[in-house]
Amino acid sequence: MKLDAKIPAGPLAEKWDQHRFNLKLVNPANKKKFEIIVVGTGLAGASAAATLAELGYHVKNFCIQDSPRRAHSIAAQGGINAAKNYANDGDSVWRLFYDTVKGGDFRAREANVYRLAQLSCNIIDHCVAQGIPFARDYGGFLDNRSFGGAQVSRTFYAKGQTGQQLLLGAYSALMRQVSIGMVKLFPRREMMDLVLVDGKARGLVVRNLITGEIETYDAHAVVLATGGYGNVFNLSTNAMSSNVTAAFRAYKKGAYFANPCFTQIHPTCIPVHGTFQSKLTLMSESLRNDGRVWVPKKPGDKRLPRDIPESERDYFLENKYPSFGNLVPRDVASRNAKEQCDKGKGVGETGLAVYLDFSDAIKRDGENVIAGKYGNLFEMYEKITGDNPYKNPMMIFPAVHYTMGGLWVDYNLMSTIPGLFVLGEANFSDHGANRLGASALMQGLADGYFVIPYTIGGYLAQTSFSKVNVSDSKEFKQGIDDVQKRINKLLSVNGNRTVSEFHRELGLILWDHCGMSRNEEGLSKALSMIRDLRHEFWENVYVPGTGNDLNQSLENAGRVADFLEFGELMINDALARKESCGGHFNTAFQTEENEAKRDDENFCHVAAWEYTGDDQKPDFHKESLSFENVELTQRSYK
Amino acid sequence: MNWFFNMLRSSIGKKLLMALTGLGFCLFLLIHLIGNLTLYGGKGLFLSYVEHLHALGPLIRIAELGLLAFAAIHVSSGLILFWQNLQARPVRYQVSKNAGGRTIGSATMPYTGVLILIFVVIHLLNFHFIDHSRQTVFQAIDATFSMLPYVIFYTFAVIIVAIHISHGFWSLFQTFGANHPKYMPAIKGMGVIFSLLAAAGFGFIPVYVSFIM
Amino acid sequence: MISKTINLTLKVWRQNRGEKKGRLETYHAKDISVDMSFLEMIDVVNEDLTKNRKEPIAFDHDCREGICGMCGAVVNGRTHGHEKETTLCQLHMRHFSDGDTIVIEPWRSRAFPLIKDLIVDRSALDKIIQAGGYISVNAGGAPDANALPIAGEVAETAFIAAACIGCGACVAACPNASAMLFVSAKVSHLALLPQGRPEAAKRVQAMVRQMDECGFGNCSNETECEVECPKGISIVEIARLNREFLKAEFS
Repeated sequence: MKLDAKIPAGPLAEKWDQHRFNLKLVNPANKKKFEIIVVGTGLAGASAAATLAELGYHVKNFCIQDSPRRAHSIAAQGGINAAKNYANDGDSVWRLFYDTVKGGDFRAREANVYRLAQLSCNIIDHCVAQGIPFARDYGGFLDNRSFGGAQVSRTFYAKGQTGQQLLLGAYSALMRQVSIGMVKLFPRREMMDLVLVDGKARGLVVRNLITGEIETYDAHAVVLATGGYGNVFNLSTNAMSSNVTAAFRAYKKGAYFANPCFTQIHPTCIPVHGTFQSKLTLMSESLRNDGRVWVPKKPGDKRLPRDIPESERDYFLENKYPSFGNLVPRDVASRNAKEQCDKGKGVGETGLAVYLDFSDAIKRDGENVIAGKYGNLFEMYEKITGDNPYKNPMMIFPAVHYTMGGLWVDYNLMSTIPGLFVLGEANFSDHGANRLGASALMQGLADGYFVIPYTIGGYLAQTSFSKVNVSDSKEFKQGIDDVQKRINKLLSVNGNRTVSEFHRELGLILWDHCGMSRNEEGLSKALSMIRDLRHEFWENVYVPGTGNDLNQSLENAGRVADFLEFGELMINDALARKESCGGHFNTAFQTEENEAKRDDENFCHVAAWEYTGDDQKPDFHKESLSFENVELTQRSYK
Repeated sequence: MNWFFNMLRSSIGKKLLMALTGLGFCLFLLIHLIGNLTLYGGKGLFLSYVEHLHALGPLIRIAELGLLAFAAIHVSSGLILFWQNLQARPVRYQVSKNAGGRTIGSATMPYTGVLILIFVVIHLLNFHFIDHSRQTVFQAIDATFSMLPYVIFYTFAVIIVAIHISHGFWSLFQTFGANHPKYMPAIKGMGVIFSLLAAAGFGFIPVYVSFIM
Repeated sequence: MISKTINLTLKVWRQNRGEKKGRLETYHAKDISVDMSFLEMIDVVNEDLTKNRKEPIAFDHDCREGICGMCGAVVNGRTHGHEKETTLCQLHMRHFSDGDTIVIEPWRSRAFPLIKDLIVDRSALDKIIQAGGYISVNAGGAPDANALPIAGEVAETAFIAAACIGCGACVAACPNASAMLFVSAKVSHLALLPQGRPEAAKRVQAMVRQMDECGFGNCSNETECEVECPKGISIVEIARLNREFLKAEFS
């Protein structure tokens, strides 16, 4: 199948308006005849479910947690970008578009990103109307702050809890629709499979996580908003239940997976403390405004930081990037920290950390000023590590944070399966090879509030109202059968290793070979390691309990089983992309300054992978990216 | 009026009843205390206060009936709340600890309440429902407080009342919605002072009557 | 600089689905690094149980950074443990000593029926929000975000109330199992903002009625909730709720 992104014709700035006009509409009286399934209740899922219900569609909304309000969007700290230009500092839709395309290292679609920038303004308007308590100045107007990758102040924020406030806004809109019966909520359900009838997405097989029952639900279209796959690395800043299963099941049913190797690694996280660490905690990268990053010059130097004299410290970011210093972009900062640790210069118990030192800033501005800026972050750090960052330098290390890759979607956010739409982090569309700060919230809400409500109409207007007769449908029966078999298989292996052991091992393989920097040799090695691990999993995993009960080990087992297959897809993608760009840094492709070196001639494309069968190499499909409005440049932060 | 009874049936409505009647009792206690302070001025002053009070005639009856109604409301809503709150946690914790918010007053409200009810009944039997033609109130006080067990019981009861007020006073403001960081410390302070005043003012009466007078 | 480890005895509430009564079972948590979070400590115990062919302890958790509100248990009689303004996932083992015995129980409330072990059903909180915890605005119809100035302090006060994570600790900590702090946080957040005023009266009445129907206890101003709230939400919000409710009823 040839990929058609369905990008509307016409000038960039008019594409979305023109497209909305061209899209077919569903008559208001007919909307209630359509049912839509939305999987996920994060920013994208909750906003989509609520908005579709507002339009008059009947929505079934599923989430894995006990309440829609728990989705991991809630943990986003920094803020949300919008091209409002309230700061009067030269921002515009065009500039937000340009910054996002450039930040993504020119691997995103121009038309999608431009639409995102346009909609960013509507998001802020809507969120304020919902009662989201954004930060304001004394005059009562909205406050903005600046964020990485941009030279204007366009980030709206609610302290360090912007994601929480935005999600609770979407959640409240969703709850309103639940109360009037337009949305039916299904919490504690995990999507186990997608059901296609006549080649169209028509329903789900889900597992009721309380009773273990396998249930089926049908609809006229299915919307996936199931988040990213960062947990394939085991340790990430994602929530424990974040997983790839929903997206991967869709992939296996024919949806292409795009750019899976694009993962973002955030530089300022709290380092790993030991084997049983369950997740990593991110601290806002604003810390790098005043903190200085350093390691001892001598490898293996185990002295306390205060005992290491100035002359024996290596301020490696300042030395290497004199003009940007500690403020280089996320990927550059992360990669350099890893490089220092690989040289044995890492600090802390594990040697997997670098110092982020505020002593100069405290000396310069006083402790009060620093506390005013970063007080809550310092508190959080002290809570987790038990160490006082006012006295001792912080220790930080990069961690997997966001995944730019995801299911391939066209301009309408529809995947290669008709009737299957994918929103938010689960799709691949807007961030290219690297996402800028404060853009994830923007994308999730743009997709849910302002894109899908229009584009899904264009699809539904051309389908029939007829419902699937679920009890007679062989596709649904087959779906239940497959899911049941898989569960039975997981439970019957009865081996000797726990699910978490496999997950940890998989994570390490990927972190070492498909993390911040990659090379062909490492990737090939990882490929066979993952295969071996997967075979061992199916022969030696032990999953306690039964299938017809609340069984968290079984839930994890299913997710890890999918990660074990998905990891291979990531590596295949990384191997195929013989260039470096954004989050994908192949050491064979770098500039003399050790920066990512793109190959725009051969790799200015989206790599979309088609499932061809278990243990088979997936088929590669290319969507070429054309840049008509921006000039492709090499990033430089010297 | 339907809305009114519906409102009273809600959890906040019941609390409102507790707070309103509680406020009534606080006011009553204050007046009662001021009146009783005349005891410290000697038998003559006290008896003239009693006389003036009784001279109010029907007003006193109305006030008494009012207090009775308040008591009925306070006790019955209190019991309903207590019962509902017990039911709200059918399985108790194996280990239960005070996090630091609870006080002796707040934790014992239902129990101090019941004790106060018992005390009030006895108190009324001792001083109110007596044959006022055969003895003055002062004589009744003198006689009662010459019994040591009663003095102990009375002092204990006064302390219980103080404990009840220590939570009840600020709590009723909270229920009315009057909690502001600026004023709450003052309200809480007033509650403490009021409960101490009540304890001291009433508590020293037996001592004064039996030993000093 | 190898981090310290401690050994603990756990007494954990175990109760299967559908079982009428549960019991405390004793486990030994050995060599627990003091840098671990409380949930990571349970992870270790669960790994151990799994390896011994026993069913691990079921407990709710997700973000593990103190914001999703999914985790929570009563630890030695204290909700989310004894540290101030801390969720269970952010409670670290350095706050315990070698040899400690730790009793772990689920949230207890009639409105939170137990599902399994430490997992309870908190959908009552969602029902309360459904009753009115929103501003009725459809996507697409909003005026410009700066059309309505809101004083910085007002937005800040609303934010403090809006910081509630819906974990249910206030209910669990309340001697009466009341949900007033949860309800008041949402009512306050929306009542403080001008956008929320048009529906304020209807909202507070509906939410309080729904709260009563869910079977929570009544607030008696014990203030345990504000001490145990991981986000430090104060009973000032409850006073505001009372005020809003009375205002709505008497007008």
